[in-house]
Amino acid sequence: MKGVSGRIGVVCALLVLIFTGFAWRLINVQVLQHDHFSEIAAEKHLFRKVIHARRGRILDRNGEELAVNIPIRTVTADGTHIKDPSALAKVAAPFLEMPEKELAVKLSTKDPYVVVRKEVSEEKAQAMIRAMEEAKLRGLYLEESSIRSYPNGEMLCHVLGYVDHTGRGIDGVEKVFDTELAGHEGFRRIERDRKGLEIVVYRGQEQLPEQGSDIRLTIDMGLQAIVEKEVDEAWKTYHPAGATAILADPNTGEILALACRPNFDPNKFNEAKQDDMRNRAITDMYEPGSTFKIVVAAAALNEGIVDEKTRIYCENGLFQYGGKTIKDHHKAGDMGVEEILQFSSNIGSAKMSLRMKDEDYYGYVRRFGFGEKTGIPLHGEIAGLVNPPHRWDMLTKTRMAFGQSVSVTPIQMVMGMSVIANGGKLMKPRLVLSKGEGSSIQQTEPVREVISGKTAKFVSSALQKVVSQQGTAPQAKVDGYTVAGKTGTAQKISPHGGYLDGRYIVSFAGYLPVENPKLMGLVIVDDAKLGSAANYGGLVAAPVFSKIGGRAARYLDLPPSEATVAQAAASTEKP
Amino acid sequence: MSGNRRRTTNAIEVNFLTRMIVTVFLIGITGLFFVYLKNQQHAVGNQARVLETQIHEAECKNESLQEKITSMTSRGMLQRRLDEGYIRLEAIRDTAIARVTPPVPAEADGVLRTASRDTDTQFGPGVPQRVLKR
Repeated sequence: MKGVSGRIGVVCALLVLIFTGFAWRLINVQVLQHDHFSEIAAEKHLFRKVIHARRGRILDRNGEELAVNIPIRTVTADGTHIKDPSALAKVAAPFLEMPEKELAVKLSTKDPYVVVRKEVSEEKAQAMIRAMEEAKLRGLYLEESSIRSYPNGEMLCHVLGYVDHTGRGIDGVEKVFDTELAGHEGFRRIERDRKGLEIVVYRGQEQLPEQGSDIRLTIDMGLQAIVEKEVDEAWKTYHPAGATAILADPNTGEILALACRPNFDPNKFNEAKQDDMRNRAITDMYEPGSTFKIVVAAAALNEGIVDEKTRIYCENGLFQYGGKTIKDHHKAGDMGVEEILQFSSNIGSAKMSLRMKDEDYYGYVRRFGFGEKTGIPLHGEIAGLVNPPHRWDMLTKTRMAFGQSVSVTPIQMVMGMSVIANGGKLMKPRLVLSKGEGSSIQQTEPVREVISGKTAKFVSSALQKVVSQQGTAPQAKVDGYTVAGKTGTAQKISPHGGYLDGRYIVSFAGYLPVENPKLMGLVIVDDAKLGSAANYGGLVAAPVFSKIGGRAARYLDLPPSEATVAQAAASTEKP
Repeated sequence: MSGNRRRTTNAIEVNFLTRMIVTVFLIGITGLFFVYLKNQQHAVGNQARVLETQIHEAECKNESLQEKITSMTSRGMLQRRLDEGYIRLEAIRDTAIARVTPPVPAEADGVLRTASRDTDTQFGPGVPQRVLKR
């Protein structure tokens, strides 16, 4: 009996010992090492799932989509979940458009994260997952992603810019408004089961993404298409080194269309040359030539140094000054300010500048916006080059009067000419109408009042004569509308100093209708492959302006100018 | 003998037993119900996940289809199609235009219109129609 109770005691003691061991292990696991094991468990099952924010679209002023997103998937593999790489490769290869053997090699891994293929379309990725489910295979997973698409290809490429493979804006509007477009990604803390599926019940902290804002530009794609087509024509006809055309609203500074050549396709930006990606409208400066004569004329008139009746002796086309000769194409004696602009007299312009004080003249050049960035919301804008009076030599002032010894950007020229068109106000170029749904369309305020309305009106009437049969740009005429503008023909600057023989940058800057300007346009053709005799702003750039202006006016349904209607009526009444 | 036997027999406490059985049963039922609810929760969670995936797939599909539509109807594409001769532009004849709103005569707002397609009344006084109809 004693032996029995002794054995019972031993068994009980052993049981107590075993259960004490279990209890100790339990306390050790659950209490003492709780944090450590929780961490291991969390590493295995808990994830911070990123919820990507949708990148905002870029729209034109009428809501036409210019940059959109294509949802795509990145296919990843978890080697620890793959039991039969060959079988999985056989199912997945057709959807991933990969050779089966190559895929099988990739899947024969124990690595928990392997990127198998990027940029798989949504349809194919989902079809692959369904095929895997049917075959009861696992190990391949999908990650959300998107690529940017520009449906119009090369159109407006320099304004839109592009994004890199991570979706970050690299150039153009994409870069400048990257923060607004990108939004903020959200996250969700989730737990997954051993199959890798989310256990929804254990969903943790969640922060929803802030979707990117849509950016609405001032660009009108109808006008942009017109400009692109005409610039393309000029590009094919003249084979220049570059071409730029800008359409803007002179009253608000809104950029309606902007095209540069050469250009590129932002969908394939990797294939583009660096030179093709340059937005010449803001990054290139050129000597404007005669288009710059508006500045000296407006300045002299506004300061009262000359008036409508002032006659200036233009030396019959040859003027010796500072040891150099200034020549005029149109040889004349006395000319008024209006004729100086109409016939584009270098001598008349130079003499007007000589009547002004250096500081005053320089002040006007700067007040027109030259020598400073316009503030257009695009990267890479340059300020141009306007030297202050203390750096001038004896010839600088006279040269500047007809657009030499000064360099401007095309966008500066558009804004400068708009001063004449809108009655004397310098506007800031505007490219964005609204950002996001809630933002309002704000009216633009002028940067400054440059000249009086009276001066602007007088210069405008002179510029209207430039487009007459007697002026330098009759080919800029637009049927049905009064047009004012100025041609520019400037020799190209040699990188080694001086000018390049027979190579010109020709331009025409103008607006219509003169009585109530709605469209301001600039056309620049850089180094057209033409003989010197034909390479003039009035012969090369003006016809392009005319075509753009005519089509744009009809597109906008602008009422025809009364003067042209009356003229047409008179001509039809003649027998 | 029989009296002794009766004395040593433990009486069954039916009330206590019933209470215990009911309590255990209730605990058991509660446990099972808890498990059932937990399972339901997981099942609904799975349904929610599947539904979320379907919605997301539909959204993605919608977005990619929209992108395709945008690409195929973009100005660049239409221009290319036009140049290639797949599509062509044809003027709409006056007789084929149905006006939803009546035309605004020139006298109403003092504005002459270039795209006017109606009678002489739309043009300003004294302006020949053929001048404006370009």
